Amino acid sequence: MRAANWIYTLPLKLRSLFRRRQADRELDEELRYHISCKTQENVAKGMTAEAARRAALLEMGGVEQTKEACRDQRSLSFVDELAQDLRYAARMLAMRPGFATIVILTLASGIGATTAVFSVIDRVFFRSLPYPQDDRLVSFGVKAPFESIEFMLAPEYLVLRKEPGPFVSMTSLTPGRADCDITEQNPGRLTCALVESNFLSTFEIQPIAGRDFTREDDRPNAPRVALLSYGLWRSRFGADPRAVGKIISVDAKPVEIVGVLPASFEMPNLATPDMLLPQAQDEAAQDRTHPQLILRTFARLKPGITIAQATAALQPWFQDSLRFVPPQFRAEVSLRVRSLRDRQIEDSRVGARVLFGAVIAVLLLACTNVANLLLVRAVGRQRELAVRAALGASRARLAQQTLTESLLLALAGGLAGCGLAYVLLRIFVSIAPQGIVRLQQASLDLRVLSFCFGVSVLCGILFGVAPALAKPVPESLVGRSARTTARGFLRHALVTAQIAGSLILLTSAGLLLRSLWKIQSVPTGLDAQHVVTAQISLAEHRYPGAARQLAFYREVESRIGRIPGVEFVALSNSLPPSGSMQATFFATIDVPGRPRPAEGTGGMVGFRMVTPNYFRALRIPMVRGRAFTDADRAPAENPVILSETLAAKLFPNENAIGKMLRFSSTAEKAPWRTIVGIAANVKNNGLTVDADPELYIPWKDDPAAYVLHSYVTFVTSLNSATVMPWARTEIASLDPTVPVEFGTMTARIGKLTERPRFDAVLLSLFAAIAVLLAALGLYGVVSFFVSQRTQEIGVRMALGATPRGISAMVLSNVARWTAAGASLGLLGARFCTRLLQSLLFEVRAHDPLLLTMALLMLVAVALAAAWIPARRAAQVEPVVALRYE
Amino acid sequence: MSKPADLLQGTLDMLLLKILALEPLNGFSISQRLRQVSGDVLQVSDGSLYPALHKLEEEGWIKSEWKMTENKRRAKFYALTPPGRTQLEKEAQNWSRLAAAISGVVSLRKA
Repeated sequence: MRAANWIYTLPLKLRSLFRRRQADRELDEELRYHISCKTQENVAKGMTAEAARRAALLEMGGVEQTKEACRDQRSLSFVDELAQDLRYAARMLAMRPGFATIVILTLASGIGATTAVFSVIDRVFFRSLPYPQDDRLVSFGVKAPFESIEFMLAPEYLVLRKEPGPFVSMTSLTPGRADCDITEQNPGRLTCALVESNFLSTFEIQPIAGRDFTREDDRPNAPRVALLSYGLWRSRFGADPRAVGKIISVDAKPVEIVGVLPASFEMPNLATPDMLLPQAQDEAAQDRTHPQLILRTFARLKPGITIAQATAALQPWFQDSLRFVPPQFRAEVSLRVRSLRDRQIEDSRVGARVLFGAVIAVLLLACTNVANLLLVRAVGRQRELAVRAALGASRARLAQQTLTESLLLALAGGLAGCGLAYVLLRIFVSIAPQGIVRLQQASLDLRVLSFCFGVSVLCGILFGVAPALAKPVPESLVGRSARTTARGFLRHALVTAQIAGSLILLTSAGLLLRSLWKIQSVPTGLDAQHVVTAQISLAEHRYPGAARQLAFYREVESRIGRIPGVEFVALSNSLPPSGSMQATFFATIDVPGRPRPAEGTGGMVGFRMVTPNYFRALRIPMVRGRAFTDADRAPAENPVILSETLAAKLFPNENAIGKMLRFSSTAEKAPWRTIVGIAANVKNNGLTVDADPELYIPWKDDPAAYVLHSYVTFVTSLNSATVMPWARTEIASLDPTVPVEFGTMTARIGKLTERPRFDAVLLSLFAAIAVLLAALGLYGVVSFFVSQRTQEIGVRMALGATPRGISAMVLSNVARWTAAGASLGLLGARFCTRLLQSLLFEVRAHDPLLLTMALLMLVAVALAAAWIPARRAAQVEPVVALRYE
Repeated sequence: MSKPADLLQGTLDMLLLKILALEPLNGFSISQRLRQVSGDVLQVSDGSLYPALHKLEEEGWIKSEWKMTENKRRAKFYALTPPGRTQLEKEAQNWSRLAAAISGVVSLRKA
């Protein structure tokens, strides 16, 4: 029945909420009408006008009282009370703007940092991928030691595709960046991706214009078609719908545009191609025993099938396909099915978790600080609370009021935090290295702002609970401030927690910094000083044969070599210390008179094709033997240079110079090569792992050397910024269509430390905020301690305590809580830093030196924070103190 | 604070609902009607009447409307709502039960 009442009561409630004045006017009129009627009635009974009116008023029992009683009947709705509380809270805060500012700034730092980090993490971990039912999309394939991402050999894939088992559908793309050129008006270099014709349908994406690929498009000799990315459609075709159906010239061949991808389209491997082209693979040519093509494979799970079930279902096929794997590899490969998200965030996971953990810690520290400030202030407001309680406010009502104040503070802090988050996010994006998944997409959208709001409310409740539970102390009505030490414990416990938290953050940041420092001091094996590199990619349609390519490279080599101040121009098909490099299995290197190992690949051996100047340009020392000479470029010569590791592995305790070897896997009749030199080891797959064994072969004037992508490396005595444009002009004068990417070797190496530097910088920033907050918290608590005890200190001094003794008393109090916090922090650090281990390089998570340093630093900060109030305590004038209050 | 001490808790509410069940009335007329029907037995001061009316309105049992009286003056008229009618029935039942119980007890004492 009550439920039906709202129809009648709602207008009233709304009126009393929003049209209070009108309600009051009506009440006034209603009572006035009654009085005048009553007066008339009394007059009719024979009273004088004056007496009649007085009697009427008397009967009413006081007009104002009645009005008040009527108003009391209006339900004071929750919203109404809230509005009242808010007004009151705002007044209280406005009265102490300094306090409010400190609280809001503290909160803003915590909430802002959390929101900024969340906006990044959210994209990585939580937000759904831009495909319908994205949780059913998986990446699957074979996992092998030489490749971190699962893949499939085309023939095996074709076998599996016939019976997709646990999958609704499966699709594939050809890995690697495929350059393609638009060769018509406004020619340009684009990136294309080769995908199977059912690629979009598997991901359940529809083109926004035109059509999807069909099976017909995937035939090897079908007319060539392409799907445009939204970006290319806009930039090159002005978003013209008539672009669909146009024939464009790609790599000098006609290609029909059949469709346009949606703006939100994202490749599952997060590549950003301008065009999708059908793979058009010749399925008949795929031979299980001689696989040529490697594929990245994706699938959509059938409803209700888990990843584990899918893996189990694929096992028979996988075991079967192992028959075609050379026996030495079988033990090292396995089947892997994992969610698309897992594949995408492979490298970001630990870092992202650590950052989020750190920022949550900062947020909690900020909350602790604010809780402490409020607790301290609550002591000052005891009398106010007692008065209100004495006037009849219930404890629930008082708690509600206090909590409202906390929430108001929290929301103000959250608002400021959103502003800070915006700035922080800009900073993150600008200092972040390449390869942090989806960082560029991170923004403060509605979802992130709701998070910010939620966090603020949560914070408000978190730090508001303790003060809200404060019990009014009747004694404080007497006028003396009650020196209760109750909840002094809580205050100290909060500070202890802060010290513990900041010690953990400080240790973590220290570990990352130390690890970064170690990474940066890793010897690369080469001298990057004054070395300039240029990456050149030739388009196949312009340089179809090795001869054309060779002529171009030779010309580049000689033209750059003629630039004054340039020395040792070298060409190579890859460059250290990271990035793609051709490689082969150790087991496939034949040495005369030695049987091949029956089992295992023996690991990877990288090989580089270089011109003689390579070792001079990078100043890689020859440990033994000689570097290549120009004579080695003759097609008939087959020398080889080994890295030290490879030499030791191939010829342990022997002199490798003069020995022979060949790669048996490359071609049927690989030539025997003579080892002419042994070069010092150079890092070739990043700084943090051991270098793979490596060998060098000369870049010969050989028509068989087919190289589209290469690097020019040279040493310059000039400023690299002056040489680069010059060299660029030289290459452009040869062929203006060839894209060249210049850089310095120093920058190339520096890129490898970007990611750890990013992590370390962010964590250090958070640790710094944490320590600052802890220091502020400690300062606040000690100041309060001193001001509460001013009288006691005065007595002590009057009785002969020295200022030194007083300082010592205060500091020993601080020391107790700091020590407690530090021990807790050490325990916490032991646990938390273990999670960091995978981010660390050559640093143990429990590095004792670092722990000690972090501890010393924190103690120093704590004592410094306590010093000022301790000194104030020591300077207390006994007479003043005794009259205190 | 607003209820007369000599009226049983909730009785005034029931009386008002009962009066308004007959016809919509303004506050003054309600006070007159109260006096008429109870023959001055139930003393409800005007100071208690209005808060009680406002409370019933807050509960949704009566609704108010500004209308013209017979002598052409604007007054606030109260009328029963459907939930008010249900409430009245319930209270009247309660009252009958209570009255029966009390008179039973009283007659028991006499015997």
